[in-house]
Amino acid sequence: MKTKKCNARLIVYELVNLAGNPFIAFFGCIFPILMLLIMSNAITGDVPESMVPKVNTAIFITMSLIVSMAVVLLGHSANYSQEMEKEIPVRLNLFGIPQRSIMLAKGIAQAVVLTLGLFFYTAIAYLTLDMEVPAVSTALCLLLCHYILAAIFFGIAHGLSGILKKFGPTYAITMVFYFGAMILCGMMGVQTNELPKALQYVAGLLPMSYIGSDFIDFWQGGSYNFGPMIQSYLFLGAVCGILLLAAGYKNRRVAK
Amino acid sequence: MLLSIDNLQVRYGKQVALHIDRPFVIEEGERIGIIGSNGAGKTTLVKSILGLTDYKGSIHTELKREQMAVHMQQNEYVNTMPVKVIMETILDTSIKNNKALQELISYFEFEKCLYKRFSHLSGGQKQRLTIIMVMLQNAPLTFYDEVTSGLDFETRQRLMEKLVNWYKDKENSLCIVSHYYEELEMMADKILLLEQGHIVDFGSKEELFRKYCGRSIFIIDNTEKNRALVSGIEKLEAPEHLLALPSGDVESEHRIAGLLVDADVNFKRSSSDIEIMSTNAKKIFKGQRGGAEYEN
Repeated sequence: MKTKKCNARLIVYELVNLAGNPFIAFFGCIFPILMLLIMSNAITGDVPESMVPKVNTAIFITMSLIVSMAVVLLGHSANYSQEMEKEIPVRLNLFGIPQRSIMLAKGIAQAVVLTLGLFFYTAIAYLTLDMEVPAVSTALCLLLCHYILAAIFFGIAHGLSGILKKFGPTYAITMVFYFGAMILCGMMGVQTNELPKALQYVAGLLPMSYIGSDFIDFWQGGSYNFGPMIQSYLFLGAVCGILLLAAGYKNRRVAK
Repeated sequence: MLLSIDNLQVRYGKQVALHIDRPFVIEEGERIGIIGSNGAGKTTLVKSILGLTDYKGSIHTELKREQMAVHMQQNEYVNTMPVKVIMETILDTSIKNNKALQELISYFEFEKCLYKRFSHLSGGQKQRLTIIMVMLQNAPLTFYDEVTSGLDFETRQRLMEKLVNWYKDKENSLCIVSHYYEELEMMADKILLLEQGHIVDFGSKEELFRKYCGRSIFIIDNTEKNRALVSGIEKLEAPEHLLALPSGDVESEHRIAGLLVDADVNFKRSSSDIEIMSTNAKKIFKGQRGGAEYEN
């Protein structure tokens, strides 16, 4: 038996694994579209017609964050915590599939599903709503922000599952974070700047609040100070790093 | 020598789960049965060798971890995953192109299970799935940790027959952890007897039987009539429902057999009974250590 590297078979296995979780399809693909259409319908009725494309686009950007949060944060924490609870990763290790191969395959599968989710969401949004066309640089920047955010969410979900090793507590924590972030970052219809000061400070620690509120300002071009957003990425990245290190230490194998 | 252990200690908190204070060696081609009560340290020993738990002491082996295969007590996979995908991914092969795998699937009559989801397999089918994958690894050292636990009698018997036949002409070393003595009688050449984390004894089945039981034993039901019949004969320690009568030579064996036949008592004669051997080994071990209080 040889140590197995991450390969196409392992990635397909992880894709089948993700397909087996219906919540990912619902919360990652259908729910953001529903939210987009409902919010657009509720809000654009009260704005001048000339402003509709801008408002729709702002809602589109904000709701797009649900895709990465649901697919990666909720999806991976639900799947991986159940696997940890049943010691499936250890079982795979004993068959010669090391942890890094499992993690890489899971990461690639998540990226594929996230890409499909974002594509589906964007296609429906542009086919059904009157939207502004973005500058190429802004679109690429938004995409990059999504993937970096997804990588951090993946690390947080992986770390939490590795530490807690139970589906219940892991899912509870990620759900609290998910709904908390939705409230703080404007996805529930309340803008970040309308929140109490203390909550605005907490929202400032999350990159989603900058994406949700600021990207519309340079959607069709212009400049933007990325400093505060990068700081929030560094903060969330540090949380992710600490969780991964703690999980790695807790689940280390004694003998190599 | 395939693997040797010297002075191994595993603690769970303050409790010593395993303390092997005498050398334990696995040679190439040996079939070792590991027995002991619950909490004796059987699984802890397997986990230590596989590097799944912290330990103090030394485990020497030339084998890389990938050269050890293991069927753990719990072998779970993703519930929603088709069995064929699990098998092909873990073994990194396609069933269609792998003759050895096809042979194993057919040997274990597993063809119909391939297209089911893992959650739809029965207990016995789940065990067979892991056994097939473990066997295909063809590792120099393979561990089977309570491979038949939770299975009904018939399924257990069939599975053990398959395992015994498969390994009959092969040279792989096996370590079989089991609570079922008949399984160890079928598969093991040597017995490692553990009790509360300590080695009670280790040796060939025959050697240990002679040491603790003598040449042979007669086993009869522990009834009032039988107790009266054999009241003048030496007895070994045995489970409550049985009486075990040792015989040191052919003459005493004939004498006991004659007595039982004349009294029309059903009996079993054995020169390899692991259950009676281990019961007596543990009794002596406890006596040497001063009752049930072991050094922890």
